[in-house]
Amino acid sequence: MTAPDDVDLDRVWTNVAAEVWRRHPGRIERTAAKLLRSPGLARALLATPSLLGPWLIGSTLVLAIGALVQLGANQPLVWLIAPAVAAVGIAYAYGPGIDPAWELARSCAVSDRLVLLTRAVAVFAVNAVLGMAASAATLGTTAGTHTAQLTFGWLIPMTAVCTLTLAVAVAVRSAAVGAGAGVAAWIVVVLGRGALDSTATSPGLSPSPSAGTSLAGAVTDPNLYLPYLAVAACCAAVVYYVTRPQRGAQ
Amino acid sequence: MDDDELIAAIASGDGDDTALRELFSRHAPWLAARLRMALPPDDVEDVLQETFIAVWQNAKTYQPRGTPAAWLWVIARNQAAMLLRKRGQRPVLLPGEETGEAGPGADPADAVLARAELAAATQALSGADRYAEREVWQLLYVEDRPVAEVAQLTGVPEGTVKSRAHRARRLLRAALHSTHTAEGGTR
Amino acid sequence: MNIELYDISRRFGRNVAVDGVTLDAGPGVLGLLGPNGAGKTSLLRMLATILPPSSGKLALLDRDPAKPAARREIRRRLGYLPQHLGYYPSFTVVEFVEYFALLKEVPPHLVPKAVAAAVEKADLGPKAKAKLRTLSGGMLRRVGIAQAIVNEPELLLLDEPTAGLDPEQRVAFRALIRDLGQTATVVVSTHLVEDVGAACSEVALMSNGRVVFRGTPEELTARGEAGQGVGDAPLERGYSAILAAARTGS
Repeated sequence: MTAPDDVDLDRVWTNVAAEVWRRHPGRIERTAAKLLRSPGLARALLATPSLLGPWLIGSTLVLAIGALVQLGANQPLVWLIAPAVAAVGIAYAYGPGIDPAWELARSCAVSDRLVLLTRAVAVFAVNAVLGMAASAATLGTTAGTHTAQLTFGWLIPMTAVCTLTLAVAVAVRSAAVGAGAGVAAWIVVVLGRGALDSTATSPGLSPSPSAGTSLAGAVTDPNLYLPYLAVAACCAAVVYYVTRPQRGAQ
Repeated sequence: MDDDELIAAIASGDGDDTALRELFSRHAPWLAARLRMALPPDDVEDVLQETFIAVWQNAKTYQPRGTPAAWLWVIARNQAAMLLRKRGQRPVLLPGEETGEAGPGADPADAVLARAELAAATQALSGADRYAEREVWQLLYVEDRPVAEVAQLTGVPEGTVKSRAHRARRLLRAALHSTHTAEGGTR
Repeated sequence: MNIELYDISRRFGRNVAVDGVTLDAGPGVLGLLGPNGAGKTSLLRMLATILPPSSGKLALLDRDPAKPAARREIRRRLGYLPQHLGYYPSFTVVEFVEYFALLKEVPPHLVPKAVAAAVEKADLGPKAKAKLRTLSGGMLRRVGIAQAIVNEPELLLLDEPTAGLDPEQRVAFRALIRDLGQTATVVVSTHLVEDVGAACSEVALMSNGRVVFRGTPEELTARGEAGQGVGDAPLERGYSAILAAARTGS
């Protein structure tokens, strides 16, 4: 028996398919959509590569190993690792380097700058929480008076390293280059500050002769906080400039 | 794949949407035609949509004891009845139904759908080889003429009229039976 | 008019990609023809609001895309298929189309039906739940077409949409854009002259950043008969005649 002419079976099937193919957002996405007041922004956030399960598991593992090594050998490592892990996460959060449909995304109503900001903040926050959890797990085991600084002081250099990474990644359109730049900059700062500590005869701040804590000057020296924040502000300005609509897609 | 296999594929794992598409392409046309005998086009589309969504959601409950087509018709029929009851609309009644032949308290939705089923079942008498049975059905049951008069009009003995009537009833009963043979599946 | 360009130019350093283009277009299908480097993609990117003009006036859907609020509204009603569109390999067809429906701010309660309709129109129904990494090049192009039409755009910009499609798919695609052109402005940038002849009500031919011809496919064919064009088909002869004339400055 054939269908009557006045019944549109194609339309019926489309409506059935709509129900069959419908994706049901999870609780986190629904909450994010309400908080951000944008289902599109929430979906973009949950699709961030460095917020996906495997990435988070990897970050957690690296920080956990850093915490364990710290516990075992009394060598502080969480403060050293956390900014680097966060920098790599930021590099792989946004931009043409990691998004194959980036040009298309830029033509959509949800602003790409808003996506960038939301993802960067989320990745930073997640890595900060993971790092603080790893640090808190090692609380009290680090020798000397720098427990609080070593436990949480890395958040400020982490801000600088992350914004530097993001600035490089969007400027050169490569997540790998951005991540490399951020991690390299952090290593240079740590080693450089460590070299200053080992050659200077400064009282008080580095009582322990162990190599680990002498390197920790990059985190424990309060004189560095303002420069870190200045670097973060400059890099944020670079990101703002680079992502302006005037630049366009080359 | 036959219909049972398609329904099994729909019921498996996350559900095979291509199997549902195939089932739709096979059965939506005749379901639409049958429903159209009782409902306007927009309602037919709504009912078909709800029918196949129900198939998708409830394929696991299908048990291949009846025919898949009958199972589908039961789902469609129920969806149509729900639609009509929700609307609270008084369906258009045929002559005969107005005299309350369906009985007090009878559901007009059921009457409408029963009419659709009967109309579909009479398709069993539509072939060229069924002309004799169709003629007898029309004269004896639709026009309500006595057997003797039908015999005279058709030029055959009364015994032949009775045997043709018997064959017509048997064909219709078989056609109606196939629409009701739906063991298992959603109701 | 959905597109109004007045003396639009776009420069990249010293390179002038688009040079003083004046063009307007209402509902219908406009074919944008031209050799590589003619400026078609840059023009399309400006229409897609991801590349601002260096000079000139641009209005899309009666709005000025230089203003953020207007740009957002244009983007809600715009569909764009870039020449090179990357895909998210782990997404399914439906997930990819839905992602961009959300980024285009299609109201959430309309998204499932919009996605189903777009997937069916692009003839991807049987592959709706397939992962993108399992699809052929032609199918991926159709996924790109599906995301471009998911929001029922009033302005649809397609850059080389038939790349990778087989002849039967190209026929279906031309029928689709003819249908869409009934109510929307469709701009198809292509180097396939036969696409233009079969689907477009108007043609603009670009060379060295300028529009050197604007008219119907029949008028383009007539130019081939009158001029010194070469090619196997009448439209090809018209195309080459006009390009030759543009190069010699006549």
